[in-house]
Amino acid sequence: MFKLMKYEFRKTWITKLILLGVTAVAEAVYLFGLYTEKEGPLSVSVMLLTMLAVFGVLVIGLESVLTLHRDMNTKQSYMLFMTPNSGYQILGAKVLECGLSILITGAFYFALGAMDITLLFAKSGQLNQLWDMIQNVISQFTINGRPLTINAEIMAALTFSLLTGWIGIVTMAYLADVVSAALLNGKKYNGLLSFAVFLALTWLTSWATGKITAGITASTTMLVVNGLIDLGFAVIMYIVTAQIMERKLSV
Amino acid sequence: MLESKELTKVFGSKTAVDHVNLKLEKGHVYAMLGPNGSGKTTWMKMAAGLIKPTSGEVLFEGAPVSIESRKYVAYMSTEPYFYAWMTVRDVGKYYADFFEDFSYDRYQELLRHMELTEDMKTKTLSSGMMAKLKIAVTMARDAKVYMLDEPFNGIDLLARDEIRASILQYATENKLLLMSSHLVEEMEAVADRAVFIKEGKLVENIDLETMRDEQGVSMADRYRQIYGHTEG
Repeated sequence: MFKLMKYEFRKTWITKLILLGVTAVAEAVYLFGLYTEKEGPLSVSVMLLTMLAVFGVLVIGLESVLTLHRDMNTKQSYMLFMTPNSGYQILGAKVLECGLSILITGAFYFALGAMDITLLFAKSGQLNQLWDMIQNVISQFTINGRPLTINAEIMAALTFSLLTGWIGIVTMAYLADVVSAALLNGKKYNGLLSFAVFLALTWLTSWATGKITAGITASTTMLVVNGLIDLGFAVIMYIVTAQIMERKLSV
Repeated sequence: MLESKELTKVFGSKTAVDHVNLKLEKGHVYAMLGPNGSGKTTWMKMAAGLIKPTSGEVLFEGAPVSIESRKYVAYMSTEPYFYAWMTVRDVGKYYADFFEDFSYDRYQELLRHMELTEDMKTKTLSSGMMAKLKIAVTMARDAKVYMLDEPFNGIDLLARDEIRASILQYATENKLLLMSSHLVEEMEAVADRAVFIKEGKLVENIDLETMRDEQGVSMADRYRQIYGHTEG
């Protein structure tokens, strides 16, 4: 499994390198703006870094789905499927590599953001004032009608929930793509049907999550339970997808 | 060693392989022959476990082909299939990572023989060089079964002789070697048995020496007899 993961990483490392490179440039601009006290570079770099943090994680998930698509629909599929590895191992390596990449990328941008904010506080010397401002902004968001407060516990729960939520969506996309390649291959409206499968899965999981968490009011508990449900769905998607690959997929 | 029973594969309205019963034994070099679209590649891909049959089955040493059988069956596709980012060295490392029977020393020896270097990028290889690389990496495995789909495609006449020698070097009495090709005369020089497939159906699996002795025809003559009207 580790060897499969190594090659999964190898297939996608250029995108990750580009993300890292653009982030390094944006960070350099941020530091330049901060220490020269120029607002232009500072605001542009903050905007860019925020976008990179959000879209970086999304891009990693999307690229993983595209890689699976290529691994099933082009001649390079032989590289994977002629090796003595089961569909569970092949897909498992993809899920783990993608999940870990999302986690590491998320943690990286989180740490970078924390560092940049700390530098900003240190530079401006208005730590308490800025912190109150951030708390005020955060409190505008609510969970079940209750204002969101920021602390280590809720940040950890939020990170967990976002990560598992995105991994859940990626595994649904895997399933839709495998259904397309294995069950709908050669059929009319294949792409449209597999997209419909994806939409149906997202609706179904969202509906089920709503039902399960209906009675929960505490923000942190809600986030953790949401994350666990997403994780459960991801495991179900993984098993169903690997089964279809084992039984039906021809490359 | 490798056997298909009532093996059938249907793609949409086309039956690519039609109830093929074929038994291949170790110690032989088989030439799988037939015009384009006759079902050779589909049969091989099902035997390699890459394509799922519509019905019937392929057995390796008595058990259905599976993840386990991929450890012992080396398949070489006619199409290039390496990742675009790979160098010739990466291809060898990839095989070494996934196939216990892969010998990197043998791979390097074959590369030297084929005048390929490890720093070459696969995406820049000519079709002839790519064909050589596919053969080198496949034959560097100490597999029980080798299935080579059109191994001489894109290779010039002089290089063909060298490649044929490289392939046969590893086709010992405990191995099964199955090759498909349009180059019937080339195959006649290496194979001791021929499998003729026509429109997805097995025509015959015949010992070439017996055919020459009893029917007085060469493999090429037999090919013309079977396919002459379809190619005419």
